[in-house]
Amino acid sequence: MNAIAIRDLVKSYGKQRAVDDLTLEVDEGSVYGLLGPNGSGKSTTFKCLLGLARPDAGELAVCGSPVTPATFEYLSFVPERATLCDWMNGADHLEAARRAYAHYDEARAAELVAIFKLDLKKRVRKLSKGQQTALALVLAFSIRPRVLVLDEPSSGLDPIYQRVVLDLIIDAAAGGGTVVFSSHQIGQVERAADRVGILSNGKLVLQGDLDTLKGNRKVVEAVFPGEAVALGDLARDPRIEHITQNGRIVRAYLYRDPEAIVAAFNGLGARSVTVFDLTLEDMFLDSVEKRGK
Amino acid sequence: MPVVFSVDPRSGVPLYLQLVEQIKRAVALGTLAHGEQLPTVKALALELLINPNTVARAYRELERDRVIETSPGRGSFVRSSGAQGEAHTAAADVATNVIGAAVREARGLGLDRAAVRTLFEQALERWFKPEGKLQ
Repeated sequence: MNAIAIRDLVKSYGKQRAVDDLTLEVDEGSVYGLLGPNGSGKSTTFKCLLGLARPDAGELAVCGSPVTPATFEYLSFVPERATLCDWMNGADHLEAARRAYAHYDEARAAELVAIFKLDLKKRVRKLSKGQQTALALVLAFSIRPRVLVLDEPSSGLDPIYQRVVLDLIIDAAAGGGTVVFSSHQIGQVERAADRVGILSNGKLVLQGDLDTLKGNRKVVEAVFPGEAVALGDLARDPRIEHITQNGRIVRAYLYRDPEAIVAAFNGLGARSVTVFDLTLEDMFLDSVEKRGK
Repeated sequence: MPVVFSVDPRSGVPLYLQLVEQIKRAVALGTLAHGEQLPTVKALALELLINPNTVARAYRELERDRVIETSPGRGSFVRSSGAQGEAHTAAADVATNVIGAAVREARGLGLDRAAVRTLFEQALERWFKPEGKLQ
């Protein structure tokens, strides 16, 4: 079953289409990493999913049902800027969570407070941005949610605590939980996620199983003796997703089977031909730049 | 858990494949003994800090290749039945990948078949005694 299903979501602010016909589904027990530049629509997508912004069109469901207040008994959301009460301290927040949530795990909360070295007596307005994020994360994970939606869960955290966040996501997934998170950090997505989506200008420009994407996408790079390379039919070859030329270097981006393209380049008189695996960072830059043009 | 695996999430090689290859290598080299228990999916995911479904996928692949076996409730173990054969297959799988990559690279550098064969012969000379034993 899809723990999260977003179908054909459209959301505009004035004339600006923040989310443009987006379909994104996350299976139960999966970790979905959403990448995208600033303003690409990540936060708007999450807000629409959770009923915090009104979509113009689209169908949204969490665990098969539309989102209602009852959804938040088993779903934790950590927004980009933690929504905490300025005048309350950390202990007050934990107490409120203990009263509100049936599955609140006091021992887990204490453990996480210790890991993040949180001072529970400090009022939220006295906490740094990173400590506020940490408190929001402690609350989110202590209610033992089935579904977690995390919008930039590492914002303001130093590298050590960023690893803690990774650890929390992996631990939640190992326990059967479903996680969707957005991040600027490709490294975090590469570790935690099994599925990825890349957003650009409100559109999902690439989506899939991360290992399958890595396994399929290849670049064949050929170096020719001179700059005048007659690519001929190869430029329109259906096996090639796109092809670039920079002087004597020609690169073909493919989804599978590089051998035939290697042979074709050799046939055209390439001096050397090399096959590269595309990293997630390559795919990110590639798909975002292509859309930008 | 005596064996430490290391994977590179930045690489373009699928993570589960990296793990499959490393475990095969460990079995072939004997650093993972026959009958030895592998860490649980959760423990290995947390140790390597990678997605648990990716680890589970690697374990499934290794089961299909008959390198490990999983019994419900007990965990995953390096296979011991017909162990010699399986270890040999695992070693051959690892070696095939390594040699394949080397030949591809050599061809990419512009060497022809005969030149690669010469290099290969030289390497065999260097690493094997005439009767084929590892030096």
